[in-house]
This record gives sequence, C-alpha cells and structure tokens, in this order.
Amino acid sequence: MKQVFKINKCRKVAKQLIIAGTFIFNFLPGISSAQADSTKKEAPAVAEESTLISPSLNFLTVQKGDNSIDLKAALTAKLKGTVIKLRTLKITFLQVADDAEKELGFVITDGFGKAVFNLKADSVKPDKEGKLNFKAVFAGNKQMDAADGEVSIKRARLEITPVKTDSLLSVNVKLIDIGTGKEIPVPETVLGIFVHRSFKPQKVAEGTTDENGEATVEVPNNLPGDAKGNITLMAKLDENEMYGNLETAVVQKWGIPVSDKLNELPRALWSAHPPYWMMITFIVLMGTVWGHYLVILIQLFRLRKEEPAPDSPLVEHLST
Amino acid sequence: MELNKFQQELFEKQRPVIEKFGKKTWGWTIFFLLWILVGWYALYLQIAKGHSVTGMRDNVVWGLYIANFIFFIGISYAGAVISGILHILKVEWRKPIIRIAEIITVISTIIGPIYILLCVGRLDRLHHLFLYPRLQSPITWDVFAIATYFTGSVIFLYLALIKDFAIYRDAKLNIPKWKQKAYKILALGYRGTHGQKRHIKISTNLMAIVIVPLAIIVHSVLSWIFGMTLRPGWHSTIFGPYFVLAAIYSGTGVLIIAMWVYRKMYKLDSLLTDKHFIYLGYIMMALGAGYGYFTFSEYLTDWFSSEKWNSEVIEKLFNPAKYGWWFLFANVAGITLPIFIVAFPKTRKPNWIALASFFMVIALWVKRYLIIVPTLESPLLPMQDTRIEYVKYSATWVEWALTFAGIATFFLFFTLLSKFITIIPISEFGETEKAKIPAVEMDHKNEIVPA
Repeated sequence: MKQVFKINKCRKVAKQLIIAGTFIFNFLPGISSAQADSTKKEAPAVAEESTLISPSLNFLTVQKGDNSIDLKAALTAKLKGTVIKLRTLKITFLQVADDAEKELGFVITDGFGKAVFNLKADSVKPDKEGKLNFKAVFAGNKQMDAADGEVSIKRARLEITPVKTDSLLSVNVKLIDIGTGKEIPVPETVLGIFVHRSFKPQKVAEGTTDENGEATVEVPNNLPGDAKGNITLMAKLDENEMYGNLETAVVQKWGIPVSDKLNELPRALWSAHPPYWMMITFIVLMGTVWGHYLVILIQLFRLRKEEPAPDSPLVEHLST
Repeated sequence: MELNKFQQELFEKQRPVIEKFGKKTWGWTIFFLLWILVGWYALYLQIAKGHSVTGMRDNVVWGLYIANFIFFIGISYAGAVISGILHILKVEWRKPIIRIAEIITVISTIIGPIYILLCVGRLDRLHHLFLYPRLQSPITWDVFAIATYFTGSVIFLYLALIKDFAIYRDAKLNIPKWKQKAYKILALGYRGTHGQKRHIKISTNLMAIVIVPLAIIVHSVLSWIFGMTLRPGWHSTIFGPYFVLAAIYSGTGVLIIAMWVYRKMYKLDSLLTDKHFIYLGYIMMALGAGYGYFTFSEYLTDWFSSEKWNSEVIEKLFNPAKYGWWFLFANVAGITLPIFIVAFPKTRKPNWIALASFFMVIALWVKRYLIIVPTLESPLLPMQDTRIEYVKYSATWVEWALTFAGIATFFLFFTLLSKFITIIPISEFGETEKAKIPAVEMDHKNEIVPA
C-alpha cells in the first residue's frame, strides 16, 4: 500500500512539474526556440481558474521587388504591465475577397512572437476595387482569447535603378500603381533610400516622386560595404494608406570594402600557438640552463673516468 | 690529498651522528611519521570524497595548499641564494652553513610542489601539463621552472657532497653495508687527483652562476601566476621582485633556525659560531628592510588609487574584524621585529636572532595566506544568494593535517639526511681553514673585533 501511495505521489509531482513547465514554456520568451504548434495543447490547470489572456495581433504587409508579398503578424500580450511576445502559436493567413475567406496557409510564431508568410503576388486576385484584403487570425486556446488583424492594400511596384555619373552616385526610384492591371505612376510620394546593415536598414537619403512617379536620389560614396565593397541599396515606402509597405533592393559595388572577419592572429596570447618571441625566450632560457646541467654531467662523467692515484684513500689514517 | 688536522677533527666530531641512529632520533622520526600518517589519512579522504572535504569552493579555489606551496618554494631560496652568492663572492664564513642551506633547498623544493598536486582536482590528467603544455600560461612556466630548479638544486648539493662521500667511503665507518655501498657509488671514484678537483671546481662554479638567476626566475614565475591575473591585490608589477625578496628573506630565516637547532642539538658552537648568526642576522635585517619597503609601496599604491576592488581587499586587510590582526602580525613579526632585534647590540645574539627568525618565518607564511585568500574572497562578479561557506574560506582539518604533514616531512627528511651526510661539510675546509673558523671575539659592546 505504501508503495502504491508513493507511486501516486510521484505521478502527482511529475504532473505538476509538466504543467508548470508547459506554462513557463508558453509564456516566458527566450527559454526555447523550438517551433511547435501549441494551439492544441492541453491548457494548464492553473490558467483555468484565472481569466483568459487577451493577446494583441499586429498585422502588416510588405510588397517586395521580387513580385511577392510578405504577410507579417506579431502576437503579443500584456501581462502584469509587461508586454510578452507570444511564441510557438499558430497564425493562419487568409485572403478576404467579396465576403469570402480563403485560407492561404499558417505559420507558427517564432521566439519574438512573429510569423511571416511569403505570398506570390500572382497567386491572389484583387477584388472589384482592385484591392487585396488579408487577414491574420490567432484562433485562441484555453489560456488565451482569439485575436485577428486585417489589412487592405492596393498592388504597386517599386523600382530602383542605380546611376553612376562620374563620381556622383545616385538611384532612380519609380513607384507604379498596378492594382487595376494598368501601370499608373504614383506622384508626390516620399520614398526612403536605405542601405542594408547588420541589424536593420540604415536610411541614407529620401526623395519625392514626380508626376512620372520617379525620383532621383543621391547616395553617399563613402558607405562601408562588405569584403568586396558591395552594398545593398533599398528603396522603401513605409506605412502608406493605399499601398501599405513596399520595398525593393539592388546590390551595387559602391561601398568601401570592409571585411567582417577578425584579423587572424595565429600567434597571439590567446591563440592555440604561442607568440614566437615567447617560444624563443622559453627555448633559450631552458636550453641555457639545461645546457649547463649537461656540461656538469659531462664533467662528472669525466671525473669518474679519471685515472685514480694508486691506493691513495683519502682518510686511511682515520680511526675506525 | 689527505685530510688536514682540522678536517680530521671536524669529521671525528660528526662521526657519531652518521654512525648512530640514537633513541632521540628514533623518537623524532616516529613522531614525524605519525604526523605524516595523519596526513595520508586526510589525503585518502580527499581522494575518496573529493575536494568538498577541504574549505575550497567555487570562489575561493586556493587556500592553505597554495600558501604552503609558495612558502616552501620561498624557503628553498636559502640554498640557492645564500650558498650560490656566497660561493661566487668566495665568502669564507659560508663554509659551515652552506650544507644546511642546500639541504633546505632540496627538501623544500620536493615538498612545495606536492601542495600543487593536492590542489589539483584531476590528478589523472597531470601528465597533460607536459604532453600538451600551453606556453602562454604562467602555470606552464611554473611547472618547467620548478622542475629545472629542483634538478639544479640537487646537482648543486651533490657537487658539494662528492668529496665528502669519498671521505665517508674511506673512513671505515661503523655503518651498514648498504650505506657503505651508497657512499662508494655516490663518491664517483673520487680520489682527490688534480683532474678530479678541476672537474668539481668547474661544475660548482657553473652551478653557482646558474642557480642564482634560476632561483630569481622561479620565484618571479611563481609571482606571475598571481600578477598576470586581473584580480585585486594580485595584478601588480612589483610582484616579481616582491616575491623574490620575500623568498630570500624567509629562506634566510629558516636557515638561521636550522643552524640554531643543530648548534644546540650537536653542540656545534665552535663551528656554527655567533659570527654566523650575526652575519646572517645582518643579511636578514637588510632583506627585512627591503621587504618592508616593497610591502609599504604595494599597499600604499593600492590604497591611494582607491580602485573599487583593490579598496575592498585593503579594507579586509585593515579591518580588525576580518584579517586586520593577522595583517598586523605579518608586518610586525615579519618586518619590524627582525630589524629591531638585529639593530640593537644587546639583542644581536644567536638566541634572539633565532627567535626573531622563527616569528618572521611564521609571519611570512601568514603573509602568503593573506595574499591568496582575501583576494579570492573579493571576486569581480557579485555573489548573490550564495551560501556563506562559498564566499568565505575556512580551512578544514584535512587541509591543516596535510599542512602539518608537509612540515613533518620537511623535518623527517632533514633528520634522515643528517644521518647520511655531515651537516658541516668536511672537504670544504682546506689547509688554512682552522685559523678562519674559530668564533669571532666580541668586545663589551657585542661588536665584532678582529680576532
């Protein structure tokens, strides 16, 4: 009986640990980067008693230069005044056309609570007004309420063309409305010119499109590039009411070559092999001392081989 | 070559010591062996249960063992420097004391590194130090330096012993056969020919020249194990010379104590004279002043700069509730006392000098402890939610047992060696020595006057 009780107790403890682990795994960011759908998971017992969490879903689109559209969703929740990025949760992306919803696919949120769905622009058809309507949906679970976000955009194309005139570097950018099937230039729109950097794009200039939807913007000629001097120039249209976000990029050899690799110091204090001066000093010092020892050993060997004086004990006269 | 009358007298005086293993010697030997046995038991516990039986933990990773290691390597300077320098300078009064100094060197160089082994967690990987040494590490330098120094010390002692081994071999001593055979082998067939004398002279001069810089390098390297780190209280440019000076200083102290013990035990007053104590006292006083200067300079700089971490260590050393009293003792007994005892003619006597040396040696051991532990108790990363025993070091009985076992081993080796070789070298004294050896005469002010 005692043993059965012990086993039951162990099971109870293990179950509690699993529940606590699941709770931590779902609500605390940065513990694991494993991607898994937790929508169907059993809800933690502790959460049942408390009120459901109301997540917030931030949804936007980015029309890209390669004729694709990124549908980007970010899922967060505010718990005790702290914004928490909700990871490993399923976000479903849909296209809404004439009151009908068509599922495009789903993505599990990453460690930062983000889900990005890349869509070929040709695979979706605009509605009667020439607009594309998208919806991102988090279905909710036993711990959290459902959340969704909608975006409506008009198709547009952003072109970037690098121009080099003597030592002057510039880019021609062109913004064209293609929502109706015709190419209509978009005038009076501010476009940003960026260069790709490690963490996020860095803005280097901006220009406003003319009646042809074009703008020519000068680019600095002293930008650091990669090891070959390549820089990625980007034209961006941010948070436009009509088109949403647009971006396009081009790689040019206009940068100053900068290697991101550390200069290799094969013989530094921290390297696998010691500096030459250290090796030489060590070998010279040890060689000098052990060389002396060797000379002394040779002397002792010669001492032993020395022809002794016949029968001349040192202290034969000492008493016993 | 024959022994002169003085050499014969000298040998006859010491003959019973190497012929007989008296009751007193047996008593001491058993006493030391018992201590060592306790140490072996402590070592067994440490191996069986791991280092958790010691007071060393995550933060304070060094304790008594490393303090003992520095202490023993320090006193090994007695032979290297006293004997080496005095030999190069051809100082005549060195002759009766060099054997003791060289024995101290060899024994302490054997015992010192054992404490490193006691500190190492994975002894099974010890050979990796030689198979895969990382030359950039001061610990690698230390391993090679100490191994070289030990070899040099043994050669230096042996060179001075060859002639004496020949004397023991030919003296028809009343000793067991194995001992006679050992003397015969170790004497290397020495008969006192001109060529043999020349070989020994060349070798001894070479060793005397090599051993002094070698000793300085060894203790500098030892100091760099601390100095090369960025720990408060350790990262100091003067640590090299500071350690070297402290080592010669403590070595001189141990030499004076050993001389005093042998003088009393074997009634060697005519050989280990007041003159030797006074001269070594002068050396000790000069070294004490130098050591005091380094100490003052080191702590003044740390205190004046008020750098956060250094100030934390300084506070621990000056706070009576922490290490304040120990720090005071280390400086009073380690610097002031020896200087005052030797400075005043009334106390410039063998007993007083030996007493000052005794306290000075203990004070220098305490100083080594104070170099290691307060620094490790002041880590650069803050310790939070840590148990007090992980923050504060407290030596366990295992560490104390192994410490006393080391000291007992030192005395045991000394006792056994003194039964195998004469403590006062016979062959060192030439034809004209007798006139130079007698005790110096003192005037009423206790100052040396020409005999």
